[in-house]
Amino acid sequence: MEYWGVKVEDIFNTMHNRLRPEGAKGVIAEFGYDIIGEGKWKIKVNDGALGVIKTDDISNCVAVMVCDGETFVGINIGKVDATNAFTSGKVKIEGDFGQFGKTAKMFKKFVPKKASMSVRDYMLDMFGTLVQRFQPDNAPQEAVIVYDIGGEDGGVWTAYIKDGKCELKEELPAKFTVKLEVQEAKDWVDVMLGKTDAFSLLSAGKGSIVGETQIALKLEEIFSKYQDPMAGGTPEQELIVLKKIISVDQKFSTGPVMGKFLNALKNKKILGNKCPKCGRIQLPAREVCAECRVRVDEWVEVGPKGQVRYMEYVYYASPDPLTGETRETPYGMANILLDGCKGNDTFAHLIRRDQIDLIKGGKDDVSGTRVRPVWNEHRTGSIFDIKYFEIDE
Amino acid sequence: MANRVAICAVAQIKNDPNLWHARFQNMLLECFEGIISQTNVSFDMEKGIRTVLTCSDDVWDARTISDNAITDVVGAHFRGEEKIAQESLNGLGYAMACILSGHDDIILYMGHMKESQTESRGMCTNLAFDPFYCRPLGMDFVNVNAMQARAYMATSCINEEHLANIVVRSRKNAKKNPYARNNAIVNQDDVMKSPLLSDPLRELHYYPTTDWAFGMILCNEKRAKEFTGKPVWITGFANCIDSYFLGDKDLTSNFTLKNATERALKKAGIKGLKNNFELYELCDHAAYQLPMWAEGIGIIKDGDGGKWISEGGLDECNINISGGMLNGNPLLLGGAARVIECFYQLRGEADKRQVKGAKRALAQSTYGAAGQHQAVVIMEV
Amino acid sequence: MAKGKNRNVAIIGIGQTKHSSHREDVNQPEMIYEAVSAALKDANISIKDVDCVVHGNMELFEMIHQPDLWHVLGTGAYGKDSIRITTGGTVGATIACVSDNLIASGMYDIVMAIGFEKLQEGHTTGGITNMADPLWFRNLQTGALTGSTAYDVMQEFGEDRAKRASMMYRIIMDKHACLNSNAHRAFGLEFDQIETLMNTSPQLVGELRLIHMCSQSDGACAVILASEKKAKELSKKPVWIRDHITIHREETFNMFGYHQKYPVYKTHKFAAEQLFKRNDIKQPLEYFDVFEMYDPASWWGLDWLRDFFFLKGDEHLKLVENKEIMIGGSMPINPSGGVIATNPIGATALLRVAEAALQIRGDAGAHQIPNNVKHALASGFGGTMWTVLMLLEKELNW
Repeated sequence: MEYWGVKVEDIFNTMHNRLRPEGAKGVIAEFGYDIIGEGKWKIKVNDGALGVIKTDDISNCVAVMVCDGETFVGINIGKVDATNAFTSGKVKIEGDFGQFGKTAKMFKKFVPKKASMSVRDYMLDMFGTLVQRFQPDNAPQEAVIVYDIGGEDGGVWTAYIKDGKCELKEELPAKFTVKLEVQEAKDWVDVMLGKTDAFSLLSAGKGSIVGETQIALKLEEIFSKYQDPMAGGTPEQELIVLKKIISVDQKFSTGPVMGKFLNALKNKKILGNKCPKCGRIQLPAREVCAECRVRVDEWVEVGPKGQVRYMEYVYYASPDPLTGETRETPYGMANILLDGCKGNDTFAHLIRRDQIDLIKGGKDDVSGTRVRPVWNEHRTGSIFDIKYFEIDE
Repeated sequence: MANRVAICAVAQIKNDPNLWHARFQNMLLECFEGIISQTNVSFDMEKGIRTVLTCSDDVWDARTISDNAITDVVGAHFRGEEKIAQESLNGLGYAMACILSGHDDIILYMGHMKESQTESRGMCTNLAFDPFYCRPLGMDFVNVNAMQARAYMATSCINEEHLANIVVRSRKNAKKNPYARNNAIVNQDDVMKSPLLSDPLRELHYYPTTDWAFGMILCNEKRAKEFTGKPVWITGFANCIDSYFLGDKDLTSNFTLKNATERALKKAGIKGLKNNFELYELCDHAAYQLPMWAEGIGIIKDGDGGKWISEGGLDECNINISGGMLNGNPLLLGGAARVIECFYQLRGEADKRQVKGAKRALAQSTYGAAGQHQAVVIMEV
Repeated sequence: MAKGKNRNVAIIGIGQTKHSSHREDVNQPEMIYEAVSAALKDANISIKDVDCVVHGNMELFEMIHQPDLWHVLGTGAYGKDSIRITTGGTVGATIACVSDNLIASGMYDIVMAIGFEKLQEGHTTGGITNMADPLWFRNLQTGALTGSTAYDVMQEFGEDRAKRASMMYRIIMDKHACLNSNAHRAFGLEFDQIETLMNTSPQLVGELRLIHMCSQSDGACAVILASEKKAKELSKKPVWIRDHITIHREETFNMFGYHQKYPVYKTHKFAAEQLFKRNDIKQPLEYFDVFEMYDPASWWGLDWLRDFFFLKGDEHLKLVENKEIMIGGSMPINPSGGVIATNPIGATALLRVAEAALQIRGDAGAHQIPNNVKHALASGFGGTMWTVLMLLEKELNW
């Protein structure tokens, strides 16, 4: 079946060409695709090497994507929102979801070919309309501009500009003002259609400029924009999305209370402070008891062992806002009732990652899993002076 | 008069260049305890504080919804709390609305700002500009204010000596204010030789990095006597915002401040400034702003700034007896500091800097670059 | 508010954008302008009639400091009074409360509240995680994601019933969203998918799965409020704001002990108790005709029904299981599709107020509930379990 003019096979058959080596780096895994009503595929990735086969045996894959053909093609050509499809259950991932996520960065986007215009058709149309699109007011007095486009759909075209007139010939002159060399005709078509820009082409090493660069930079003014004959009547908005990372350095003070609390960790001690009115113990220590609206001055050493009352089992790989690095998942963040504390006076920290499946929460008088802190050798007065808590056996 | 609210008590810490030993929670807690000990106000749901207003900013705190970090130290646990994410003077206007609406009898208003936490004030205010045009150009509040300074100095005949005199006077006045930032006394020469920040603004022309926090209790007319024998009344508030792009506005027009003042006076039922005010506290982020805002409020005529300073107008009209923002208050708290000075003055508690017979005062604040947003509060006893 | 308002206030204009994850076609002021112009048109007034503009969102989601300064290009605040007040996810409801106070005080006659967020311009979970103390909890937290409510409900009512009820709630919200052309996510889920979705939707934290959680949307909402006199002059269908309450709490420490001897008091319940008591509403479930709730995830929506309506035992589960919360049911919740469908955070809680008001007016279109709506409740949620509640009325007769 075709969806938007694209077959499921087209997506798989172009995977080799669309592979991004940097995205596949370090990935060693097999991924399965069960495209309902269309068949099953397996892709084998080995640190940059790729194998794609159509097979009914996808049993050994680390993760399998299950969906129908329309959804699969739609996602790949940008007609279906992947997150929405996933959230609504139209796409299911069986197996290791985290691993499967890596496939998103492994391939360049699939660009369907227009049904009725090949790259060669575009090349002929672009140069066929070049003289029409000439803008004498913006052109230099005299220039010879060569387009040397490679690949099987390519060719050599030269525009001779003189005294407000432009003439095009399919030839390579001995002398020229500037020569544009593009390795693949398809890339040049993409530039002309606005799908990519000439700078990306140049910086990716897929093209070069020989001669007077200034003239090349003015080409968009010398010739008016090429209109895609396959596009609809209304011109698209010219949209730009700026990508910026904003960072302003900070120095955070602890104040005396948090300072005392963090300093105690250096000496492998966990200090809470105790409300003079209600007696609750605060971890980490805070200046006041919010319930009683009084300053909290009494310090008590608690733990360091305790029992887990509740653990968040976190699968979602969120970024650490202080470092920008994504945390490894799954991880466990536990509310631990340290010895010497009662009620809701729990202390939040991480659980040793290989033990999170063994942790049980407590309820009422039933204790949860007993845990103890694992201290860092180099302690600096930070939350990570405790690496994590592990099961205390 | 049913359209006035009382300020019953204020508390503050001393303005400081770098409170490295305190986090902002510590700063606020001191003020909170100051308010409670002065007023014995409770948090009873019927009779006490149901709503706490705070003033702070997420960018400067480097913390999303930064008021969540202070709920406990401002007493707002299981009570209402709303954050003025704007210049602090506007919080007085909103507190007034909370009380006059009948929704609250009492408002606790707390604010903090720790400018020393960030490594660059310029990078923070650069973020107030759009990411496409002004931000990449490097605009921040200092260099945009510098453009306004140049334009205004030309229209009102302000010279380097005028600016230097404003700074020298600010430092002298601040020495009499126990809560003012400790700054060195400077002379005209020091100012005129201080390094340029952004021509024509020099380092000493600009308010310095400051950490500060405050608290105040506002109350309706009926219950004010429960907390103080000497209420100071807020009788008028208004503000005004200008357009965004610099090319869209006349930087010397004082469009926003004129509007805000007119509307605040109207609310307070006061016809004009003349003989009606004993003192003014103005938010002078930079020295040139003191005469400029004086023109905007209408203390003097447009274009008279230079002449007025030469003739000693600042002392004659009792402008910024506290030392002003110029001596050092944090960016968004300049307005609250102005209100607190007026509060002391109107209660006759300003000690060595007391203006005799002070009955009515005007406090002004601004935020954004080049006075884009202006606010005015009228206070009376 | 024991004594009542100085003067009455009504909503007279409502505007919102289509909410989506792709608004690259507009910048922030342009997106806000869409909502503002829609609200002015709805109120049949011009921007000249507005005295004051109230703006709210969270700075670090888009990394714009004091964004009202730039947004003045789209808000129409030029030359007017303008106030910027924020809370958390609650902020949209807060600016509605602020606008109500500003008008009731007599200081302004017509005020416009504007909530917005362009969440695609930042990292939402990273932004929320930034709430936590930089020296402590910021290293541990995962934004607003938590599996604790799922855990609680499963502990109390058994895993299977809890999961089914939560997914039933989710699918009802999706059915509502499919009727709201402004909603961001409307999938077309069916009840026969309950079993599949509750077992296969990817897990985020514990039993909180992707399908349960709210979206991250771009969108804006503007609501115009007016004094009684102006509202009666200008509007055929004013919606009256009766009262509102805001309840915050300290950070989420000291609440995970799981011991019945140490119960944890919830802000939702406290807010509802206080607000209903002072307005003499004894049976909230009977009193209200519709509730637009800030439900950041289906587990929370399900659980909080009990807190807001003082329900006992499993009454809240039954409301969901019997589809009483659906349009046409006895207590319709979020006919708009709610927050799980649409969540431009700074606008989200204002959308609750706006959608509740549209129900009272009878102008909600395809997601209008069939019975005559006289009394509506709207809630906001944010920060560290903060609540804002607002009471809306069709008649000025309380």
